[in-house]
Amino acid sequence: MSVRRNIVRYGIAAAAFLLVCGGALALDFKPYGRGDYETLVKAHAGRPLIIHFWSVTCPACVAELPQWEKLIGAHNDVDILFIDTDDEEERDRAAMRMEKAGLATASHYAFADSFVEKLYFEVDRNWRGELPFTALVAPDGVRTTVTGGLDDPQMAAWLGKNAGKK
Amino acid sequence: MTRMKHIGLVLVAALLGASGAHAQEHATSTVAEGAAKPAMKHAAPACSDARPECAMTVFPAFDKKGRLWVAFSVGKTVYAASSVDGGKSFASPVAVANIAETGVIDAHGDARPKIVALNDGALLVSYTTRPDKQMIGTIFTARSIDGGKTFSTPQAMLADGGQRFDAWVVSPKGRIYAGWLDKTHAQKAKAEGHEFAGSGVAFGWSDDGGATFKGKSILMDHACECCKMSAALDRDGLPVFAWRQVFDDGVRDHYAAKLSADGASLTGGRVSDDNWAINSCPHQGPGLAIDHAGVWHVAWFTKGKNRQGVFYASSRDGGKSFSAPQKIGDDARAPAFAALLAVKDRLYRVWKEFDGTTTSIPMQMSRDGGKSWSAPHVLATAADASDNPQLVAHKGAGYLSWVSHKEGYRLIALPRDEKSASVK
Repeated sequence: MSVRRNIVRYGIAAAAFLLVCGGALALDFKPYGRGDYETLVKAHAGRPLIIHFWSVTCPACVAELPQWEKLIGAHNDVDILFIDTDDEEERDRAAMRMEKAGLATASHYAFADSFVEKLYFEVDRNWRGELPFTALVAPDGVRTTVTGGLDDPQMAAWLGKNAGKK
Repeated sequence: MTRMKHIGLVLVAALLGASGAHAQEHATSTVAEGAAKPAMKHAAPACSDARPECAMTVFPAFDKKGRLWVAFSVGKTVYAASSVDGGKSFASPVAVANIAETGVIDAHGDARPKIVALNDGALLVSYTTRPDKQMIGTIFTARSIDGGKTFSTPQAMLADGGQRFDAWVVSPKGRIYAGWLDKTHAQKAKAEGHEFAGSGVAFGWSDDGGATFKGKSILMDHACECCKMSAALDRDGLPVFAWRQVFDDGVRDHYAAKLSADGASLTGGRVSDDNWAINSCPHQGPGLAIDHAGVWHVAWFTKGKNRQGVFYASSRDGGKSFSAPQKIGDDARAPAFAALLAVKDRLYRVWKEFDGTTTSIPMQMSRDGGKSWSAPHVLATAADASDNPQLVAHKGAGYLSWVSHKEGYRLIALPRDEKSASVK
């Protein structure tokens, strides 16, 4: 399984390489499975990190995507990752939504694991899959999760505290 | 450079080959062609054969003869299959509908194809499709009058407006009731530039075994658009529905109501004041059951200001008032997706729990209309991905219907007395 996963990962890397070389692949969703939450948190350690979970089946998520685009523009000091929680068959639709919101070049992941209870649990054991859902990881490693939209006061408070500091 | 690009292409081809669920789904148009290899990379079913154990969701119903029917989808095809040995084995599934290459079948979490077994032996399958570009759905129904050998050409409940999350119940006189969430008013408001929270709640019924439906009108607005409705039959033969409603200030709490005999109005009330003010999709609708005494039982999930978790309450006055919410499950194990079932004088509740490794389905039974419950007893566990638990009754017995990736499809009889209910 892990070997297979590695093959897939090298494939993804190759796909990204091709994209750079002028390949015709559209928005690239990197696979997100069990264990990947910790991997991502570690990979971004020391920097403010926002991991935003969303779905095309969540009107509230889709409606606020343009605001995420603005947030990225205003905070290049914050690492922002988008994780699409949809099934594979929704991926084209998810790509379209992101492109429409001007987020095609953002960092995208997508659920690559049907054991969603485990994926939720790894982020927050009280998360049952409600969306939008956002994990905030401060440079000091302190983690916060927010159920609901970008307009949640916790988001602004966290950004005020953790963003804009080099 | 050329060589590197070649290697890259090979890898990409390998990647697409290993994970080509997308391309394979399009080819999965018949049972015979459905033996595509499992996709490894993406969130995909355990397998992609036309079998219940390969589906993300399975919906059960017993026919009059005691045969178990299930509706499920794999790829772009909706299937019905029957079992005469309590779900241990299934006859070859029959393709009810194969949808166009564009769009998807709603079969994830709360949304799923369904099957209703009618008293005269006819079967009615429902499913929802969503076009590629929009989230609005279309509910289709197809009938079988030859014991599930063939199904009629699926017909849309409504041609436009957008419908999802259908719930079905059949009265003792054979009237088939359907409730669903309807985007028609929301679409109209959007076109006129107005804000509109959620979906409408609409109802229809059929007196000809599902060939045609009457009513089909929105009776209430502002249901939460991404959570299922549930339906149950009251003592008087009229249907009751429960759903998550968007109240003032975006509060997404629950509502239960009975459809009037003429199908023109609803009578009911708010289930609880959880005060979950959130602009989000909980993706989790309530469970509903009505017992032989006419008591309405509701179970639901909330992250409200007043309470968080999975809760249960009952109404003895037709939804006018509900008992104080009672917590279900162990909060350390992320309880979710509670279902209720009333069989004779027994009331059951099951839900999903996850301890970080294993998913379990705990069950409790009540013999006093939900006032007291047996200790939770785990009916089944799963080591990997699994569907939400479904409850189904037949001839005075209740069953858990559950599909999981590693363990396959299971139909598990619910205990009939306290003694066996409390056995760990």
